[in-house]
Amino acid sequence: MSSNDRSEVRIEGLLVRFPDRERPAVCEVSERIEPGEVVAIAGPSGCGKTTLCRTIAGFIPSLLHADVTGDVTVGGASVLSSDPAHLAVRVGLVQQDPDAQVCTLGVRQEVAFGPENLALPIDEVNRRVDEALRVVGIEALADRQTTTLSGGEKQRLAIASILAMEPDILLLDEPTANLDPEGAKTIFETLGRLRGEDRSLVVVEHRLAPLLPLAPRLWVMDGGRVVIRRPTRRHEDLVELGLRSGWRRLSPRPAATGEARRTLREVSFRYGDVEVLRGLDFDAVSGEIVGIIGPNGGGKTTLLRLLSGLETPHEGEASSTEDLRVAMVFQHPHQQIFERTVKRELEIDGPLEEDARRALLEEARLEGYDDVPPLSLSLGEQRRLTVTTALRTQPDLLLLDEPFIGQDRHNVAWMIGRIVEARNRGAAIVLVSHDVPLLSALCDRMHYLGDRVLEGTPEDLFGQLREIGRDAFTPEYWGDAAEGAQGGR
Amino acid sequence: MRGAEYRSGTRGLHRVGPVGNLLLLVGCLTVGLAPTGLLLKAAVLGVVLSLGAASDASPRRFLGSLRFVVVFASILFIAQALSIREGEVLLRIGLPITAAGLRAGAAMALRFLVIITSSFLFVTVTDPDRLAHVLLRTGIPYRYGYVLILALRFVPFFRAELRTVREAQRIRGIRTSVKRLAGLRRAVRYTFVPVLVAGLMRVDSIAMSMKGRAFGLHPHRTSPARAVWTTEDRLAVVGSVILVAISVLAWRFAWL
Repeated sequence: MSSNDRSEVRIEGLLVRFPDRERPAVCEVSERIEPGEVVAIAGPSGCGKTTLCRTIAGFIPSLLHADVTGDVTVGGASVLSSDPAHLAVRVGLVQQDPDAQVCTLGVRQEVAFGPENLALPIDEVNRRVDEALRVVGIEALADRQTTTLSGGEKQRLAIASILAMEPDILLLDEPTANLDPEGAKTIFETLGRLRGEDRSLVVVEHRLAPLLPLAPRLWVMDGGRVVIRRPTRRHEDLVELGLRSGWRRLSPRPAATGEARRTLREVSFRYGDVEVLRGLDFDAVSGEIVGIIGPNGGGKTTLLRLLSGLETPHEGEASSTEDLRVAMVFQHPHQQIFERTVKRELEIDGPLEEDARRALLEEARLEGYDDVPPLSLSLGEQRRLTVTTALRTQPDLLLLDEPFIGQDRHNVAWMIGRIVEARNRGAAIVLVSHDVPLLSALCDRMHYLGDRVLEGTPEDLFGQLREIGRDAFTPEYWGDAAEGAQGGR
Repeated sequence: MRGAEYRSGTRGLHRVGPVGNLLLLVGCLTVGLAPTGLLLKAAVLGVVLSLGAASDASPRRFLGSLRFVVVFASILFIAQALSIREGEVLLRIGLPITAAGLRAGAAMALRFLVIITSSFLFVTVTDPDRLAHVLLRTGIPYRYGYVLILALRFVPFFRAELRTVREAQRIRGIRTSVKRLAGLRRAVRYTFVPVLVAGLMRVDSIAMSMKGRAFGLHPHRTSPARAVWTTEDRLAVVGSVILVAISVLAWRFAWL
């Protein structure tokens, strides 16, 4: 069989339904991926993108139980009845969360893990490890412990560990979702280097502009189906499909004249010997939305923790207005969901009239979930629930850590509406996100926390960032990235 | 225990291979478990603490990690000292403090300290990957060898999840008192369910990550090149033999 035949994927009438779910996650999908082709999959949260990738990789139904009809073949052989371990040399899947796929403690061991499982001679294992580390550009990290890597480095390690298996088809499920803009940029550059050599690339991604240099065929999914399929080369194609990343400013920006609800002065904070914040001044002002951006490990979440009172500064002062009501939405929603039904979860902070509860759930697109265990909801749904419960308390200070991950445009628009409502009510809002275009549209003021601290209005801050060469932290890179990402061949 | 995980380094026991460190641990555990005198246990504890401080990049961090172990050992000492009332009374603080009670308390506290601190030191200086590979060479099926590595990877994960869930409770004003049965049930549900869910999600991802890289495909997998047996390894073996020998002799002839 030629390498071309080996890497052809055919999906025929695929339907995947998880137990206890009425609606199939993937419904009547019939597609084909040509050898060497790049396919970008986009679509709203819960539309079946991840399920489709996991099925192609052979994890469904063998590891994750589901009813599956139709067929998926790779190189002519059905993957539905195959052991994923057998498929591993043909299909490799890089999952969304890099932390959740690291099996060993050392970078080199992690990349060698797959080839060692193939029982290859040690010289071949070493060759593959060196080659994979080189391709993703992390040779210098070979002797580091995996726990010491940044998010971007871990994601490149995850890609390297799959590349070392030398698969014909590489699937990447939102590989930049948890990364800061610089980290995401390096991943897109890596994808540019990976293109070709008869290897097919399938990338689930909501930030499509940086993929344009790879000239992908775009599949847009909705309700488990592929509803749009077309080649995409230009920014205009995304605009035409309503898939561009940019946001228009949704509300006029009032002058910030409110009271400082929480103030940090000359604040420093360390984790062990590592200083993450030094001499920081920060005011969370009533009626103002402040966006925080910066590299992973730059101190963004630490700032939220200091503002919330979960941490006390090692140096400097933190003060707040009397009886300050603080609400915080954590990055991982399951960590702040406690009750056994959605209804009870909403009522932790006090009972609700049935009509009011229904209205809240309907707004959050959680209608009909009153008696559903909240931890059985999708991550996007869980996140909307935690935002709803946080806003229910009418906080004076609302802190949000990456609330937009896993949300489609409709749900993001809902969140923006609620955040703006809270601001107009007089709440001080501090928002950490890697979604730079969205923050630029939403925030009254922004801070950059990294190797230096910068602040200003969005326009001022982006000007400063451009001056110091941090282009990936400006909206232009994500809205019109043709010059930003390195293209493939 | 805070920090009970491998910390990479190049000093002290980091220069000893996993077999050497394992043998040293066996030696220390023998001293800890054998019915030897206080002097030997105290001396070995001193050696373990010195080795830990010499091996860790931050001696202060190493000793600081053992704070709660020392507190617990102190509680054991006091409880044992107060519970034995036979023999010569040295002091009365409501209850009689006897020489036998102090000896028994010291013996129990030292035993506890030697066992826990030497195990802690072993975990912090031994690369689990290398240890697993050594275990695999002894004939253990590699599926089981990797259980050790995965278990060690989950320790810091669960600790971080637990901390975050408690913080989320604080932010929402949820108090989980365990003084009453209802409060205990609520604490279990509000704390352990989210942590358990996180663990199960992580297990799914790790299983996909391992299977997706052909784990279990062949009965055997490639083993990295054997480590060179160094002078430090030889010294560790000698040290272990000496510890076991002294323990046996001290027990047999009631020395130390």
